[in-house]
Amino acid sequence: MKVLVTGAGGFLGTAVVERLLAHGYTDLRCGLRRRTAIPKLDVLRRQYPRATVEYCAGNLKYKDDAARAIDGVQLMFHLAAGLRGDPVDLFLDSIVASRNLLDVAACVKPLRIVLISSMGVYGVAGLRRRAKVTEQTGVEPHPERRDPYSRTKLRQEELFWEYQRRAGFELVVLRPGVIYGPGGGHFSDRVGLTIAGRLFHVGHRNLLPLTYVENCAEAVVVAGTHKQTAGHVYNVHDDDLPTCREYLHAYKKQVADICSIRVPYFVMRVLSRMLVKYHTYSKGQLPAILTPYRIASLWGGNHFDNSKLHSIGWKQLVPTAEGLRKSFAAFRDDLDESQTAVANRAVLRPKAQVSPSRERARQRNCRKYRTTS
Amino acid sequence: MLNIGIIGCGKIADGHADEIGKLDCARVAAVCDIEPILAQQLAARHAIPHWYTDIDRMLCEQRLDVIHIATPPQSHLALTQKVARAGCHVFLEKPLALNAADARRLIECVQKFGRKLAINYWNNFETRALDLKRFVDNGELGEPVHIESYYGYDLSDPFAQALLSDHRHWVHNLPGKLFQNVIDHAISKVVPFLPEEAPEVLARAYRRRPQVNGDNTDDVLDELRVMVLAGRVSAYLTFCSHARPTGHHLRVYGTRRTVHVDYRLRTMLVEESQTVPTSLGRLLPPFQSSWQSFQQASHNVGEFAASRFHFFAGLNRLLTLFYRCILDDTPVPISYAEILRVSEIMDDILTQVYPGVLA
Repeated sequence: MKVLVTGAGGFLGTAVVERLLAHGYTDLRCGLRRRTAIPKLDVLRRQYPRATVEYCAGNLKYKDDAARAIDGVQLMFHLAAGLRGDPVDLFLDSIVASRNLLDVAACVKPLRIVLISSMGVYGVAGLRRRAKVTEQTGVEPHPERRDPYSRTKLRQEELFWEYQRRAGFELVVLRPGVIYGPGGGHFSDRVGLTIAGRLFHVGHRNLLPLTYVENCAEAVVVAGTHKQTAGHVYNVHDDDLPTCREYLHAYKKQVADICSIRVPYFVMRVLSRMLVKYHTYSKGQLPAILTPYRIASLWGGNHFDNSKLHSIGWKQLVPTAEGLRKSFAAFRDDLDESQTAVANRAVLRPKAQVSPSRERARQRNCRKYRTTS
Repeated sequence: MLNIGIIGCGKIADGHADEIGKLDCARVAAVCDIEPILAQQLAARHAIPHWYTDIDRMLCEQRLDVIHIATPPQSHLALTQKVARAGCHVFLEKPLALNAADARRLIECVQKFGRKLAINYWNNFETRALDLKRFVDNGELGEPVHIESYYGYDLSDPFAQALLSDHRHWVHNLPGKLFQNVIDHAISKVVPFLPEEAPEVLARAYRRRPQVNGDNTDDVLDELRVMVLAGRVSAYLTFCSHARPTGHHLRVYGTRRTVHVDYRLRTMLVEESQTVPTSLGRLLPPFQSSWQSFQQASHNVGEFAASRFHFFAGLNRLLTLFYRCILDDTPVPISYAEILRVSEIMDDILTQVYPGVLA
C-alpha cells in the first residue's frame, strides 16, 4: 500500500514518516514543499533500508502538483497546512491546497485520508471554565470571530467532510493540541503572548494540552491505520498535562530566564474590550487581534480528554516529563547556537552561567516531572 | 457614492478593501478572482455583498464605477482594456505593466474610453511625502541637485518567503522578477524631481543570499543599485534586502537645504547650512535636529490620537483624491506622464540587470 504524507518535511511530518516506517509501512511518498527538507528524511531512509521512500516536491496550491502527489496512493496523511501569515496565505496554503488534493482524491478508489486538524476548531468560548473538551464538543459556531489559523483549520475540516460525503472515501480526523518537541516552538499562545520582547503570561493555571511530537505522530499513525476509525474524530494530547504556569516555570529553570509578566484573565478581558472599542473608533488603527471572544477561546481554561484515542490502542511513547526534558534540552541548545532563533517568542537572557542554586532548582523541577509521569 | 469592484483577491486586496471601507464616498460592491476560495474569503471578511470568478459576469451584473486591479502585472493590460471598455475607471496596483510600451498602451486605452486611471504609489501620499512636496513647491529646498531613494526589503516577509519557496510564483515570470514588483516604490519618489530630458540610467544588481533551492528561485537578484542622471539632477536608487533595520527613506539635496524623509518613522527633517561661526556651528545642529525630531514625533502622536496614523494612510489619501477627481471631473492625482516615466526608467534598469528580458 502506497502511503502519502503531505508536509513530510515539517515538524510533525518527519515524525509521522518515522512512525510509519517503525510500524512497518514500506512504501512511502513524502510530499515536500522544499527540497531542503530531504536531508533529514534521508536519515530516516537510511535507518529503514528495506523501505521505499520517495520524495515528491511541489506546491499543493497547483493542481498538477497535487495530482502528482496523490497518484497511486491508497492512504494519505494530510499534514501540509499554512501555520502563519496573512489570512490569504493561510487560505492558499491550507484551503486551496486541500481543495486541489480533494478534487483528485474524489476519483481515487479505494482511498483513506487522515486529516490533521487542530483543537482550535472547537467552539469553547461559550463553555464554562474547566469544562472538558471531548470529541463531542461542538465546533466553532462563529469562525469569523476567531483567529485566522483556527478559522482556516475549521474551514479545512468542513471541506474534507463535504468531499467525504460526496466521494465516499474513508476519512479520519485528528485534532492535536499543542505539538512540542526539539525543533518546535518554545511557547504556545495558550501560555501567553510575546509583545515587545516580554511574555505576557495569561494561561497560568490552565491545562496546556501538550502532545510530544513523537506521541502525536504515533497517534496519527495508530488512528490513521486502525480499521474502526473511519468517520471518527480524535483529540490528540498526552497524559499528565502540566499547567501553563508549570510549563513556564520549568522553562525558566531549564532553558532561559525569560522576562514574563503575569496578566490575570479578567484583566485581559477588560483590555480586549478596550482594544475592540478603540479598533472600531479609530477605524482599525490598531488591529483587534485580541477580542473577548478570542480570549475566552484561548484562555478560558478547559480540561481535555484523550480517552477515545486510548480506546483504539494509542499509547504515549514518551512520558510528559521526558518529553519536556528533551525539549528543554534542545531549546537550550537552540539558544546556545543562535539567540535570535527564538527572538519572536521571547526576549531571553541565555543561561551562560547557571548558579548552583538555580541548577539545584532545575534538578528539583526535573524530578518533579519525573515523579508525576 | 461610487461602486467599487476589486479584481484579484490576494494579499494587497485586503489593504484596498480596508481603505475603501473607511471612505464615505465609495463602497466595495463586488470582488472577483479566478480562485473561488480567495474571492469568497475576501468577501466574507469584509462583508462584501457579491463575489465572482468571472470578470465579464461581474461587469454585466454589477453597476461598477471603479475597478481596482490587484492581480499580477502580467494581466494588467488585458484587464484594463476590458474594464475601460465596460465604462469603469481603473485603479491599478504597481507595477503598471510589464514594460513601458505596454504601459503606454494601457494609458492610451483608458484615455480612449474617456476613463481615469491611478496607480498605487501610496507612499507618495503619506503625510511626510506631501509635506516634502509643499516644501519643494514653496521653493524652500532651492533647486534639486541630487536625490537618494532607499528602499529596504525584508526577505523573511511572508510574501518574499512565498516567492522564494515557490519556483512557479508569478514574480518569477516577470521580466525583472522581484525588482519589477517592488522598485516602483523607489523610482516613483525620484521622478517628480527629474527634469524633462531623457535620463541616463546605470544599474547594477547581484544576489547576496546563498543558493539553497537549486531552481529558478535562486535566480532572483536581491540587491540593486541605480544611478540616474537627467540634466543637472542626479539620483541614486537603492534596493536593499539585507541591511537592518529595513529602511525606507528619501533624501533630497537642494541648492538651499537638504531634506530627509523617513517613510518608516514618518518624519521629515530639514538640514540647513550653519550660519553660526566657529565651533559653535558644530554644536548647534544636533540640538536643531533633535528639536525637529521632537516636533515630528509630537505631530505623529497627534495624528495617532486623531486616528490618522494607519499603515495605509497614504493609500487612503490617494483613493480619496482619485475618487474625488472622478466625481468632480478634475485632473488625476498622479499624472500619466509621471507614471510612464517610472515605467521607462524601470525598463532601463531591467534591461541592464536582466539582459535580454525586455527584447
